[in-house]
Amino acid sequence: MASIIQHPPAMSRPANGETLQERSKGRDVRTSNIVAAKAVASAIRTSLGPRGMDKLMQLPSGEVLISNDGATILSRMNVLHPAAKMLVECSVSQDIEAGDGTTSVVVLAGALLDACSGLLAKGIHPAAIASSFYNAAEACTTVLTSRALPVDMNDRESLINAVRTCLSSKVVSQDSDLLAPLAVDSVLGILGPNPGSATNVDLRDIRMVEQLGGTVDDTELVHGLVFDKGSTKTAGGPGKIDNAKIALLQGGGGVGGGIEMENASPRERRNLTTHFNNLTDTLNAHSRFCLSAPKTDMDNSVVVSDYAAMDRILRDERKYILNMCKKIKKCGANVVLIQKSILRDAYNELSLHFLAKMGILVVTDVERTDVEFVCRTLGCTPVPHVDSLSPEKLGSADHVGDVVLPGSGHKVVKFVGVANPGRTMTVLLRGSNDLVLAEANRSIHDAQCVVRSLVKERHLIAGGGAAETEASLRLRELSMETTGMDSHCFRAYADALEVIPYTLAENAGLKPIEIVTELRKAHAEGNVGAGIDVKDGCISDMYAKNVIQPLLVTTSAIKLATETVCMILKVDDLVVVA
Amino acid sequence: MSAPNPASTGLFINGQRETGQDVRVGNVTAALAVANIVKTSLGPVGLDKMLVDDIGDVLITNDGATILKSLEVEHPAARVLVDLAKLQDQEVGDGTTSVVIIASELLRRGNDLVKNGIHPTTIISGYRMALKAAVSYIKKEMVVNVSELGDDHLINAAKTSMSSKIIGKETDFFSRLAVDAVKSVKMNATAADVAGYDAMGSGGGGGAERLAESASATAAGGTTAGGTKQRYKYPLSAIHILKAHGKSSMESNLIDGGFAINAMRAAQGMPTFVEMSMDGTPVKIAMLDMNLQRHRMGMGVQVIVKDPAEIENIKRREMDITKERIRKIIDAGARVVLTTKGVDDLCMKYFVEAGIICARRCNREDLKRLAKATGGRVVTTMADMEGNETFDAECLGGCDSVREVRIGDGEMLYVYGCRGHGASTIVLRGANEYMLDEMDRALHDSLCVVKRMLESNTLVPGGGAAEAALSVYLDDYATTIETREQMVIQEYADALLVIPKTLAVNAAKDASELVARLRSVHAKGQHSEDMVDYGLKFMGLDLIEGTIRDNLAAGVVEPAISKIKSLRFATEAAITILRIDDRISLNK
Repeated sequence: MASIIQHPPAMSRPANGETLQERSKGRDVRTSNIVAAKAVASAIRTSLGPRGMDKLMQLPSGEVLISNDGATILSRMNVLHPAAKMLVECSVSQDIEAGDGTTSVVVLAGALLDACSGLLAKGIHPAAIASSFYNAAEACTTVLTSRALPVDMNDRESLINAVRTCLSSKVVSQDSDLLAPLAVDSVLGILGPNPGSATNVDLRDIRMVEQLGGTVDDTELVHGLVFDKGSTKTAGGPGKIDNAKIALLQGGGGVGGGIEMENASPRERRNLTTHFNNLTDTLNAHSRFCLSAPKTDMDNSVVVSDYAAMDRILRDERKYILNMCKKIKKCGANVVLIQKSILRDAYNELSLHFLAKMGILVVTDVERTDVEFVCRTLGCTPVPHVDSLSPEKLGSADHVGDVVLPGSGHKVVKFVGVANPGRTMTVLLRGSNDLVLAEANRSIHDAQCVVRSLVKERHLIAGGGAAETEASLRLRELSMETTGMDSHCFRAYADALEVIPYTLAENAGLKPIEIVTELRKAHAEGNVGAGIDVKDGCISDMYAKNVIQPLLVTTSAIKLATETVCMILKVDDLVVVA
Repeated sequence: MSAPNPASTGLFINGQRETGQDVRVGNVTAALAVANIVKTSLGPVGLDKMLVDDIGDVLITNDGATILKSLEVEHPAARVLVDLAKLQDQEVGDGTTSVVIIASELLRRGNDLVKNGIHPTTIISGYRMALKAAVSYIKKEMVVNVSELGDDHLINAAKTSMSSKIIGKETDFFSRLAVDAVKSVKMNATAADVAGYDAMGSGGGGGAERLAESASATAAGGTTAGGTKQRYKYPLSAIHILKAHGKSSMESNLIDGGFAINAMRAAQGMPTFVEMSMDGTPVKIAMLDMNLQRHRMGMGVQVIVKDPAEIENIKRREMDITKERIRKIIDAGARVVLTTKGVDDLCMKYFVEAGIICARRCNREDLKRLAKATGGRVVTTMADMEGNETFDAECLGGCDSVREVRIGDGEMLYVYGCRGHGASTIVLRGANEYMLDEMDRALHDSLCVVKRMLESNTLVPGGGAAEAALSVYLDDYATTIETREQMVIQEYADALLVIPKTLAVNAAKDASELVARLRSVHAKGQHSEDMVDYGLKFMGLDLIEGTIRDNLAAGVVEPAISKIKSLRFATEAAITILRIDDRISLNK
């Protein structure tokens, strides 16, 4: 083993178990995998860090995407090579796990692969490299954990700083003064009254509503609910309601309707033809809550045999709808949300007219997928049938009203002062064009993920390449203390970790070699917070500059990158099954 | 850098990839190509473009946003500029050409800097610094507060805006028209509007000043910090522009407090004119969004009759249902009935007998506006709270008189003396369709400008004055910066001169000399302590005479807000494009 370290360009391979005698095919496959994966890493290298550049992507559909987010770029890039795909997957899992650091994880994996190709060239067995890399990753995590500062979820200031670090590389970075507190508040808002005890948080409880127009700094956080369109005012009707009582009507769910219809015997059908007054009730039993005239099923029809019946149908239709509206009014609701229906009209002009006359604000076409969120926010229960409508099923809000958005003139309905705050949040995003809007959405999501990482793992670590440099330095020290394959691979791993500060410096237009060596020196002198200050182009203390990030982001990046690299290493054959 | 060959990048994707300088050059070239198209249409002596599309439709225009919109640009970077023009059009309404020209000039200079070895990120931060300095300079030095805005200023601003357009020859006439039209729709602003306006007025950072374009959300008033003062808003959507082919453009007119709707009487027997009775009861107008055709039963209702005689009954009943509805409308006092849907010829006779003007297939949006203007409501159904059908007389709008007027080839219904909120209609006349369309666009720009002026009460001199002043100021500012951004800010300062340069070139004047003179005057004004030189910062180009003059005195002015916004938008767009260093196009 020692001989390897002493003679690095090992042409003479000692024949013990830790060196590799392999078929040429295995080597070719591995090389091609490494090349392909490295290509992916080098493709998004320039997006790393606050001074990273953007990618412009033209999707097959003609859609244009400008982004700086590693996971977004890679997942849309549609890479063909299987090994490259693994890197893409790795970025996606970092997105799921930590939400941020999706570019770093790929860049790191690329650097590790580079290190591997050097090690492989020396004839070290891939499995040995893999196991050493696992150990190295473990060691890094330990080092980083010991360096990290614990954070209290009530310490809003540090949370905001962490989020600001994340946002600094995004297109919307100039708005981070607004967006960072917004992202923090939105996540803290759904943590409940005791943020200290939460261990995870579901970001789906934060609803992002995109509205074109205005600019990103018009984005606002709403403690309540915003629908992406205005209230329905075809028939006039109020535009705002104070002390709102909200009913959510579930129209046309369609579940179970079919079976009941089959039960309608021929006799029952005959009944339909004669008893108009019963018609509405009978039919209604089969359908969900729809504020529109009842419709017969395909098999059934209402038969009119004299002209007086026509009047009756018309009047019954009006009466039927009026009755439903009256029941809604009677139970105290003054705002009605109607779920989108595909089977039947969830509402018609007549019902809107009645509701308008009763002074009830109507929001139509609520998406089925939004129903749960709406219920959680407003504290209401969806009402599937008019008879099951009761006051306790209503949600409430202090104020519900149409708001005209500056910049576009578009209207949205806003619900503020909801009954049980602390369970859901809404972010109303604005942007001057679709590209900016979509990128702002991704950036805020990343920012929220940062807060979520802190909820999961309450430690902060210095950013700006400080964490990676520290880990690299300690790993190098460790390599001095160990012997064997571990020692050799640790050193390669430590060198690979420096790719992060190197790339940061390069993207910022600084001199990478100078900066990285300076950084190394600072850390060797015990300055654990030293990192690259991209703004001033020098080395400074990242804790003092408030460039901090969640520990989870860095450790998860190291773990994921290592595992992906090890997996790629272990592949020695590529079989294409047609 | 890598060639756009997938093999050489080593990236196995199904598509092409370009990186680094190649992309930047490609993007900048595309953006410049777009800007070059609109360049010659800038300014009072700018020329028009004729665009012919694949089915042979012709569009003649001078409006940057309209030209770019019709171009169907495919290059993504160029599309950013097209979007930029669109945004400027939505948010400001005017200055769409200049915003594109400034953005492309910033890009060109940015690209040159990159070639000289300056890192793009430095350029981006330099541009941001320059923008910040420029905006604060405009706010501090260039803005002229016009506390009680006289008509003169409004008319001047409207004139400046339309001077480059097809109606530039008749600016006196059209600027008056625009000002009168905007003033006629004056409304009291609500508290929410005022809040929106305050956000705009105080907007120091990041583009906080924005105004609602179309409808309402913007308030007006002085920039005075009182807030208690009654402010007004001017919803441009209340101004209805109708285009009628024929006669000269000078025959265009404004119907103050009136509304014209592009519809004609449904039957010849109806009167062409109704007016209020002697006792002052207004003419009642019913606006319907429902069908007045023979009533048909809905889906799922079958008519099966055993007795053939019943057929007649059912048919008659179908008619009668509609007839009863019409009777109720007439009984409610309506003398004009407008519907968005159809009216059966049979039903027409009830209207004819009652001497009512009825028009069918009206535009729904028009009816909504008319409802607002006359204080009525659009009626969608006649059902009442008892489940019966009645027509609520409160839904009727009121006006002094309604007349069918024959204009050009078609007829229009003129509604005079509307009783509701302000509304007015401009009827444009012109020799041909292209001209009418272009007049409409030009007038829209001017209306936006007047609205901005009334709402923000501040103006800056036009004709390249603001740009020249900024350029001189930024040059000085750059020398106070000790970092790499200095060079970038200087380039930004030079880039702004593209506006006076292009103006002069389009006017066939000696651009280099004129701009040099302009700059020297501004430099003198800014560096002098003497109060005599104070007015020098308002010096701009006189493109007719080919000299420089005080453009504030000459009445070449534009709203301050539009200048600030166009700078901001242009810089943002340039930065968006400069940030891109990789282009990946995926194959299908």
